[in-house]
Amino acid sequence: MPCRNRLARWGPPGLAVLLLLAGAEPRAAMAASLSPQEVQVLGKALGFVQLPPDGATTVAVVYASGNAGSRADAEQIAAEIGDGVRVGSIILKPQVIDVAALASIEPAVIVSAADANGDAVMRASRARHALCVTAELAAVQSGSCIMTIRSNPRVEIVLNAEAARAAGVVFPIAFHMMVREL
Amino acid sequence: MSSSRRFTGPIGGLLALLLGGFALGMQASAQSLDYGMYEQLFDEPVTDSATGKPQRASEAPANIEIITQDDIRRSGAVTIPDVLQFIAGVDVRSYGIADAEVGIRGYNQAYNPRLLVLVNGRQVYSDDYGHVEWPTIPVQLDEIRQIEVIKGPNSALYGFNAVSGVINIITYDPLHDSINVATLRGGTQDYRSGSVVGTGQIGDAAGVRLSLGGFRASDFAPGNLAPAEAVSRLSPMAGVFNLDARVKFGAGVEGFFEASDADTRYAEENFTDAFDTQSKQTNSFRAGVNADTSIGLLSFSAYRNAESVSIYAPTIADLPTWGTEAVIVVQASDLVKVGAEHSLRIGLEYRNNAATSPGAIQGTIGYQVYAASAMWDWQIAPALSLTNAVRVDTLRLSYSGTLASGSGLTMADYNNAGFTVPSFNSGLVFAVTDRDTLRLMLARGVQVPSLIDFGWQIPASQDSPVVTVGNPGLRPSIVYNAELDYDRAVPAIDSTLRAALFAQRTDDLISEPYAATPVIGPAGLPVLQSANVGSSDAIGVELGIKGHAASGFRWNASYAFVSTTDHTTLDTGPLTTNPVDYAQAVPRHVVILGLGYSHGAWEADVMGRWQSSYRDYQATGTGPYLQPVEIDNYVTLNARIGYRVTDHLLLSMVAQQFNAPSLIQTAGPPVERRLIGMVTIRF
Repeated sequence: MPCRNRLARWGPPGLAVLLLLAGAEPRAAMAASLSPQEVQVLGKALGFVQLPPDGATTVAVVYASGNAGSRADAEQIAAEIGDGVRVGSIILKPQVIDVAALASIEPAVIVSAADANGDAVMRASRARHALCVTAELAAVQSGSCIMTIRSNPRVEIVLNAEAARAAGVVFPIAFHMMVREL
Repeated sequence: MSSSRRFTGPIGGLLALLLGGFALGMQASAQSLDYGMYEQLFDEPVTDSATGKPQRASEAPANIEIITQDDIRRSGAVTIPDVLQFIAGVDVRSYGIADAEVGIRGYNQAYNPRLLVLVNGRQVYSDDYGHVEWPTIPVQLDEIRQIEVIKGPNSALYGFNAVSGVINIITYDPLHDSINVATLRGGTQDYRSGSVVGTGQIGDAAGVRLSLGGFRASDFAPGNLAPAEAVSRLSPMAGVFNLDARVKFGAGVEGFFEASDADTRYAEENFTDAFDTQSKQTNSFRAGVNADTSIGLLSFSAYRNAESVSIYAPTIADLPTWGTEAVIVVQASDLVKVGAEHSLRIGLEYRNNAATSPGAIQGTIGYQVYAASAMWDWQIAPALSLTNAVRVDTLRLSYSGTLASGSGLTMADYNNAGFTVPSFNSGLVFAVTDRDTLRLMLARGVQVPSLIDFGWQIPASQDSPVVTVGNPGLRPSIVYNAELDYDRAVPAIDSTLRAALFAQRTDDLISEPYAATPVIGPAGLPVLQSANVGSSDAIGVELGIKGHAASGFRWNASYAFVSTTDHTTLDTGPLTTNPVDYAQAVPRHVVILGLGYSHGAWEADVMGRWQSSYRDYQATGTGPYLQPVEIDNYVTLNARIGYRVTDHLLLSMVAQQFNAPSLIQTAGPPVERRLIGMVTIRF
């Protein structure tokens, strides 16, 4: 199949050339960890949850047990939140926690750091009716977490509506219409 | 997970009395489109004006320009047309200090019927003569959140008359926005104006916003107007009131009530291109409910607009007295998301219009409209969406009164008349990259004949031996539009570039009665009758860039081109009764530039507009005859400087058209330089 081989060989660079000729750029990859701007977006998104949190709100920043990289990512996210990020009347307060200990606290929000997504996070989200947020799109696609956020170059929110429904996290219809749903 | 509730604002106490403990038991829930919250979330304006579905402005399948409250303030505008004149593709003709005609992408004229204007979705377009009377819009500039300018037809959502475009004026939401502000203005031309806006809220369960404003001034000098025209122009004045209340009835259920009243008097160029002074009282009432349910966002609303008009034109001996008009609109819709990729909206609408005039209609002309619509938005891929919307309107005409003798019209002609007409909008939006977006749009819009186009009834008289009548057999104008847009974000200079290319065709153009060529009627008298008079084509380009920098600078630049070709039976000769020559009626080229700077408490802006020549028409003062007036190209420059004394006090000075003491912008009175001082107090 020489024709198909040529397409496979020249297709991607050809597309890249076409995009460059059009002054376009390929879509950027999702960031590995939540940035301070994305934490702000998280706080604003919380305002749309039916019965939103108010005042000091615990954000469980979860890392994978025995995973140093995951823990470092969680601590980086927690450091970005610092003593508390205020968005409207909500004050996000981070608590870094091993995923194995997640069942011991009652957070309103779970931020799942790198490699921490999985059944434990999903179970905690559903048990606590907590909004789960992660930078890992695959976790949202699989339904183990509810939402992923990026802020650069423009704000993008990807929502797993089924996962949100299962966790009892309810958003208005207008919100569903303006985010990207899986 | 609780929210505090408290009575705030100067009228919060009144609200508390009205709503009592009923409101206190309600749950907080952001269910309606909270523009402010969504704008903060996505860092860009949001809208539901393009399709009926809430969307980020950058993702809407329409060419939409959103003018924010900051834009309005920095423009120094004192009227909404003042704001619009610096938007690419928008043509604003000032026929006086208060009278303006606004067109989008060509086809502007005195009493322009092709632009639909709404306030929060309620039409403020007058169906009697088919145009917008801007001074009667009961909204203060301080209470506007954003003005949404949609270019091109959008009849599949809004129905009739959304053909050149739609302007939806979105005010602050009394549930979510506490706006308390008073503004006083004074300046040249004896201009005095004042407005006050107050909001009361009961926590997040209920809110009401009241506004009151008015102005008076001496109009521009008549210039070259014929004496018979000049004496018909009285100094303008207006007083308007508006109430907007919203209540949460429970989780996901909101009710709203709106009421307005306007009492205005201003000199205008009317549909025959003659000048008069119109005194008009308008009022409106609207109520509705939105419910976020398991079967979608259900919306129901009903409103009634009413107006009463009298005309002052002392040199016309047999001036027909005008009268009243009312329109009742009932709308219901359901907006639902089906799966992750599909949004559907279905809608039903009923309209009942009636205009009564003992002089000009010799009775009552009206119609009822039944409409059904559907919108389907399909997110084909993360970067690609397709929206299709369709609507079908059925109109049934009715007339009661005395038909003008000698026209040959019968009651059966009216009471068996009507039509069913479809419209559609389709839009493909492709986010090629994070910075580049392409939009391809196709549309079929519908312009309905105005009530006077249908029902005008002026018999022959001693002073005017001509019968002038409407036409119950008129067909609606159909406007087809094809458009390709390209948006590119340029983060290096914090700017957005937009290019638009469009082609448009209008079939069955409608001419008002006096524009017709006389024919001899069955009684042997000359008859002027409104008619469908042919077609028109337009092509155009718009290029624009708008941005700002952290240094405090902001800028915008745009170029708009439109070329129109007519294929009509209208007489465009040197002495005519036809005020419409679309091919010449708007400038082909318009360049707009703006530069602003903010530093600390200071902000300064300069805006300029150059437009090429165009042709307008002027009444000769003899019968219905008109003469063409070539309007040379001109530049107009506006400037504003503002100083925020405290968080509660803003002082500003505005110079409109500071580059020339007087400019001929239309066939009406020359537009004069204006200097205006403003004091804005927030409380």
